Formats: sequence, C-alpha cells, structure tokens
Amino acid sequence: MHHRHLLPSEIDLLLDGEVGFGVAPLRDHVDACPDCRARVHEAREVVAMLDDLPRFAPSPAFAGRVMAQVQVVEPWHVALVEGARRLVPRHPTLRVVMAASAVVLAAAMSSALVWLAFRTDLAMYLAAQAAAQARAAGMEVLGAFVADVFGAGASELLRADGLAGIGLVAIGFACAAAAAAVGLRRFAAAARRTRE
Amino acid sequence: MAPPPDLTNLPDADVVALAQRGREDAFRELVRRYERPVFSLIYRMVRDSATAEDLAQDAFIKVLNHIDKYRPEFKLSSWLFKIANNVAIDHLRRRQLDTVSVSGSPHARTADEVEATSFEIADTAESALEEIEARELGTQIERAIGKLRPEYRSCILLRHVEGRSYEEIAATLDLPLGTVKTYIHRARIQLRDLLGHLRE
Repeated sequence: MHHRHLLPSEIDLLLDGEVGFGVAPLRDHVDACPDCRARVHEAREVVAMLDDLPRFAPSPAFAGRVMAQVQVVEPWHVALVEGARRLVPRHPTLRVVMAASAVVLAAAMSSALVWLAFRTDLAMYLAAQAAAQARAAGMEVLGAFVADVFGAGASELLRADGLAGIGLVAIGFACAAAAAAVGLRRFAAAARRTRE
Repeated sequence: MAPPPDLTNLPDADVVALAQRGREDAFRELVRRYERPVFSLIYRMVRDSATAEDLAQDAFIKVLNHIDKYRPEFKLSSWLFKIANNVAIDHLRRRQLDTVSVSGSPHARTADEVEATSFEIADTAESALEEIEARELGTQIERAIGKLRPEYRSCILLRHVEGRSYEEIAATLDLPLGTVKTYIHRARIQLRDLLGHLRE
C-alpha cells in the first residue's frame, strides 16, 4: 500500500488507463486518499477537455487549391497496361477473333524461327552478305567524311587499315569531343564566377 | 466495364496505391480525409487561420507530390502529421526571428532613421476572421494550449485530439518514446496550472 501521495507520473499512468503491474496499488491509494483523489479528478477534467477538442475545417476552397498544385502523374507501366487494355475489344465475339488471330500469328512466327534454325548455314550466309554490304556502304560514307575533315591522306589510311582505322578515328573523335565539352564547361563556370 | 471502387471505404494504403497509379480521385480522397485533422493541428500551433491554411496546403502538396515514395509499412497519417508539424514549427521559428521593434531600430540615431525603421500598429478593431479565431481559440482550454511550448503542444494535440499512442507520436515526430512521455506529462501539468489560474 502507498504511504505517500501519488507522483505526477503515477497520475499519468491512471489517466492513460494503464493496466499493467503496479497500477492496482495506485488505484487503491486513490480510493483511500482524498487529496490524491482530488488531484486525479482535476487531471481527468483537463484530459476530458482535451479529448473534447473539436477539429476545425479549412475554407471550402482548400481542397481545390491543393489539387491545383499537385502533379497527378500516371507511371509509364500503368499507362502501357491501360493502353493495351483499351485495345482489347469489349464484344466477346471480337475478343475471340482477336485471340485466335494472335495465336495464328504466334504460330507462324514460331514456325519461321524453327525453319531458320534448321537452315542455319543459309541464315549465316545471308547475314554475312548483309554485314559485308553494310560495311562497304559505311566505309564509303565514313571515308568521304574523313576526307572532308582530315584530308585525302587520312581517308587512304582509313581504307588501308579498315576496322582498326575506323576504331582509331572514332577514339580520336570521342577524345576531341570530350575535351571540347570539358573546356566549354570550365569556360562557362569561369564566366559565371566573373559575373558574381 | 466495372465501375470505379468507392474510395471512401478503402483503407489509406489502398487509396495511396490508386493515387500512385495516377488516379486523381484518389488524391482528392486523401485531401478530403485529412484536411480537417491537418488544418486543426497547424491552426492550434500557429493560432492564425489564414496562415494555417497556407501551411496545411504546403504540407499536403509536399506529401502528395512525393506519393510515389510512400511505403505501406508506415501510416500515411503519421507522414502527413510529421510534415504538418514540421511546417508549423518552421513557421513559428521564422516568426520569432522576424520580430521587429514597433518603436524603431535600437541602432537608429536621428528622427528620420527612427521613422524609417518603425511601423504603426494597424487598427485594433477585430476583422470578421479575427472574430472567428477569437471564438474558436478563445475558450479556456484553447487559450491554455496556446501558452504551451510548441513541442509540448504538438504532442498533447496528437495524443488527445488525434488519439495517437505514445509510440505513434514518437515515430511521427522522430522523438524518443521517453521524450514524448515527458512532453505530454509536462504539458498536462502546465495545462492544469494554467486552467487553475484562468479560473481565478
């Protein structure tokens, strides 16, 4: 049994409705002590006033003002799914026709891939032919560009060295572009510092 | 095509998920649900309804424009109250720094300098808005709450007006649990003392 008055923290335990170990003796003391009973009652009055506090409402235009500044964004993956959903027809018969067409198309593409797999040598020959033609066309365009920028000698070097030459030109160009970008950025930063 | 779900009965996490998918009605529902609690908290912190609306607006905009960052393991309301409390505390700190002397700068030496650095107090007659504020915040308990330190005020309001547990308040305000209990304990004691003086 408590032989002293309640501490403020013990009054808080009673206000918060705590039911743990040690609270029962506090209640017993309140029942037996008029002073502490009065203090707890006073504290409960304050808590009751706090619990009865109303929530205030903002002006009617508040929600509109908030929404005017909120960015409502549909993520790309949601837009993709919603877009695909809109392509699906509503009528059940049309849905069946669309599904059947998709199956036929998938079967045809699969068959083509299987045929190609069994004709690997033919596919590789055709691919090599296409690559050679593309390389020749690319060399012609690049040679003309290099001749215009660096002169005929560079163009001859490119034709003689082939891919290695292309690689060297590409590396050289990339380095020049990077150096120009860094230089411009430093120049801009220096100009900004001068203005400040 | 199925009709859109009734948002009013969905839990917060589901409404947020819809907002994250770009549903504007989900954003509006979140504003509808929390405009009163957020405004009330800020209003009681800053004691001015126009300022409270601006700050509450800022809080909502900050949260809703970053709704993609919301994590469902935390309560949306805790996030909202945290931002609301922060904007209110920041405003109170700025207001404290901006306090100027009515009778001119202490460094003013000539009459012209005094006149240039002083300002007249506006007409003291209450406007309609001030009258509403006086009525709303003029009760004994509201006046007593207004005298609490801001840190105590936000804890006591979250505890008793919003019904948050001590743990939730600690998580919302980023305070240790012991600190929250201390703040609420001190706030209750101060309120009892203030209400006792107001009755006298």
